Amino acid sequence: MSENAVIEIRNLTKIYRDFWGRPKVRAVNSLSLDVKPGEVFGLLGPNGSGKTTTIKMLLGLLFPSEGEIRILGKPATDVSKNEYIGYLPEESYLYRFLNAEETLDFYGRLFDMTTAERKQRTDELIKMVGLDKARRRQLKEYSKGMTRRIGLAQALINNPKLVLLDEPTSGLDPIGTREMKDLIIKLKEEGKTVVMCSHLLADVQDVCDRIAILYNGELKQLGKVDELLASQDKTQIVSSLLSDEAVNEIKAVITKHNGTVEEVTNPTTSLEELFLQTVAESQARPGQRFVAESEKAANTTTVD
Amino acid sequence: MNLNFDKQPIDILQALANWGLIFGALLCIGLVIALILSVAINPKKGVSRFFENLGEGLRDLFGMSLKRLGAITNLTIKEAVRRKALLVFVVFAVLFMFGGWFLSNTNNRAELQLSVYVSFVLTAIGWLIFPVALILACWGIPEDIRLRSLHTVVTKPVKRSEIVLGRILGFIGVGTIVVGIMSVLGYVWILRQVPEKVQSRLVARVPVYGSLNFRDREGQDSEAGVNTGDINPYRSYIEGASKARAKWSFEGLSPSVLQTDPDSGEAALLVENSFQAFRTHKGVIDEVLHGQYTLINPETNLRVQLPQFPIYEFRQNLTWIPQKLAYYNEDTKKTETKDLFDDLVSDGKLMVEARCVDVGQFLGMARPDLFLRLPDRPFASSFFKSVFGIWLMMVLIVVLGVTASTFVKGPVATILLFTLILVGTGFNQFMDDVLSGEVRGAGLVESGIRILNHGNPIVEKPESLEESMAVQNVDQVFTGMLWGVSHIIPNFNMFSFKAYTASGFDVPMKVAVLPALLMVIGFFIPCLMLGYFSLKLRELEAK
Ligand SMILES: Nc1ncnc2c1ncn2[C@@H]1O[C@H](COP(=O)(O)OP(=O)(O)OP(=O)(O)O)[C@@H](O)[C@H]1O
Ligand SMILES: [Mg+2]
Repeated sequence: MSENAVIEIRNLTKIYRDFWGRPKVRAVNSLSLDVKPGEVFGLLGPNGSGKTTTIKMLLGLLFPSEGEIRILGKPATDVSKNEYIGYLPEESYLYRFLNAEETLDFYGRLFDMTTAERKQRTDELIKMVGLDKARRRQLKEYSKGMTRRIGLAQALINNPKLVLLDEPTSGLDPIGTREMKDLIIKLKEEGKTVVMCSHLLADVQDVCDRIAILYNGELKQLGKVDELLASQDKTQIVSSLLSDEAVNEIKAVITKHNGTVEEVTNPTTSLEELFLQTVAESQARPGQRFVAESEKAANTTTVD
Repeated sequence: MNLNFDKQPIDILQALANWGLIFGALLCIGLVIALILSVAINPKKGVSRFFENLGEGLRDLFGMSLKRLGAITNLTIKEAVRRKALLVFVVFAVLFMFGGWFLSNTNNRAELQLSVYVSFVLTAIGWLIFPVALILACWGIPEDIRLRSLHTVVTKPVKRSEIVLGRILGFIGVGTIVVGIMSVLGYVWILRQVPEKVQSRLVARVPVYGSLNFRDREGQDSEAGVNTGDINPYRSYIEGASKARAKWSFEGLSPSVLQTDPDSGEAALLVENSFQAFRTHKGVIDEVLHGQYTLINPETNLRVQLPQFPIYEFRQNLTWIPQKLAYYNEDTKKTETKDLFDDLVSDGKLMVEARCVDVGQFLGMARPDLFLRLPDRPFASSFFKSVFGIWLMMVLIVVLGVTASTFVKGPVATILLFTLILVGTGFNQFMDDVLSGEVRGAGLVESGIRILNHGNPIVEKPESLEESMAVQNVDQVFTGMLWGVSHIIPNFNMFSFKAYTASGFDVPMKVAVLPALLMVIGFFIPCLMLGYFSLKLRELEAK
């Protein structure tokens, strides 16, 4: 629990209630995690596992039922933190009667930017997201991917320190997806912190430093991507242009050293395996929650 | 055309005091409820949360950024324009293209015709702008929440106060565009519709009113004259050729009230009356009744009787009183000359006494039926003040609508506000009457007991009620609350100045415009606070 974490979440619980205050859904349950400066953090989880709810609580759009959040050192409801945050919602909730330029200009004004700054930034961002040809068209005429792109431009208008992306690649074409990943890596290089939700595990694997897997609102896995994926008792040898002869020789060497050859295949997207396995385990043993090593010492019970 | 009502200027200090009292009381109640709720929700940190929110609230309300306000205002206007709210002009245009057919009635006297046109234009502007304002204001924020476009806004460093105020200003902007264009079109339409010969009647008369006292037929002071059997006690009558008099006292007069008499070309005071005749016998056929004025200096008691004048009903009865007055002095039996301001007005005070000349006939009058006239103002002055009244009401609707829409969804807010307008238009007068004791009846509890006992309000109070102080005390509390409620529900009649404009008067600032303006400001402040806290303390999630 580092002092300078960009996001600190402690025991965060969200219960959606109906009009009469009766609980409907427990969308997030006792979630605790930290996001460190400069990292790309991935929130994974099946549909309805509480990713969007968590992000909305981080932004103060929803109020936690329990628990605490500090984001950039401030409470989630503090408006002034937004100065340094960029947010791309799950769907681009923008004003559909504005065109791309007007949209960016509007959000620029909300940051109290000067006219010259807004003009320059608008121009830059529109070019960056590849909407130069559609800059004067109203958003209601945009396709899904185009809306996504303008949504992203909007999130970066203030050159934020912390970027929250809710399913950034949804609706994007392969080129767009590639560009989005490059952009996230570029943001990281610029020293920004990125938090993203996604289902596209390959994308997450490519760009994320650390990930958390949520299931039914509970944290099931948390850690560095490579550490989570490294199976301690297995060794994977990846080589290219290996002849069958060479493969047989290697097999022989392994058998000689009392190892078992389990399979010889091309490497798979192993995050997918981890994800599926976590979900399967969670279904088999509900209630088991991931607890950070440091917390384990203080709190030995992990089961509710 | 003359007014058939008598409105007194408001006492600004009293109004402010009332506002302060109600606002303060509601604020205290609100704060206490908020504190209790806050503690109930979170027993540990409730109190500190409450004060944190309060402090933040003050900071947010006083530290708004003009640029962000401008951005949201601008967005609101663009939204309305691009969503074609301005189609209302089409309705307006259609109304006016064909309105003329139905409104022109050559049988009407010219000035009546004129007043019909003016009323029509002002009514049409009002009826078109109010629904537009109501719907825009009530649906703006709820739609923003439903479509979640507000999510992208509130995750920027925007204060919720800026959202509420920006929305309010935006809708006011839209309303201003609509009212502005419609009123200019309407004005031009009136000028073109009104027949040539009555164009000169399109003016704004500026009256100076005095206070009215009566003397009865025996010459004794009395509060009112005779009631001739009219249900509406607005005018009261004096008997002809008796000692009955109606006496107006004017204050604060200076030579600036003098105008040039177009006939003599000399400086003169213009007095207008709209007395009504009540005949107990036919009199001379084709002869109108006559009245007579006497000017009195209230200090020296100098009396100057002026010549008799005919009274044409439903018309302007004008009397020019020259500054240099020649009159026949009954005492000295000589014709003397007096100066209006040197001899008759002292300390700016002057009395005008009116009598009815004809035996057995009566003249009816209310306070506004005799007035001094300042130089006329152009018709536009009166017309656009009436438009300003409509604008003020539009503003109030927007303010109330936006506030309501921070709590509830669009349709609910619309119905709520619509009900409030209905109640505020119709019910207010009734409540005023109840509170001033003009409507006969008793307190809530007492009435209940009477109903149970099959009594009616005219019946003497039963013994048991007379003694029961408890009933009276409880009723006093209810009356107090009713007083509060009658001040919280805005009186929407206040914004209609068209009676003045349509009858050719200028709209008086202190009597009409200022109270309406104060009312809007009085609602604006608490509404902004309410709307802000509502948006701040709720989750902006569509349910
Ligand atoms: N406004 C709401 N009212 C009631 N329940 C809600 C609301 N929003 C979300 N939920 C519920 O909360 C749970 C978590 O939803 P959430 O949107 O956070 O999931 P998610 O992880 O973002 O899913 P996805 O991958 O599909 O976007 C779900 O069971 C959902 O039905
Ligand atoms: Mg989601």
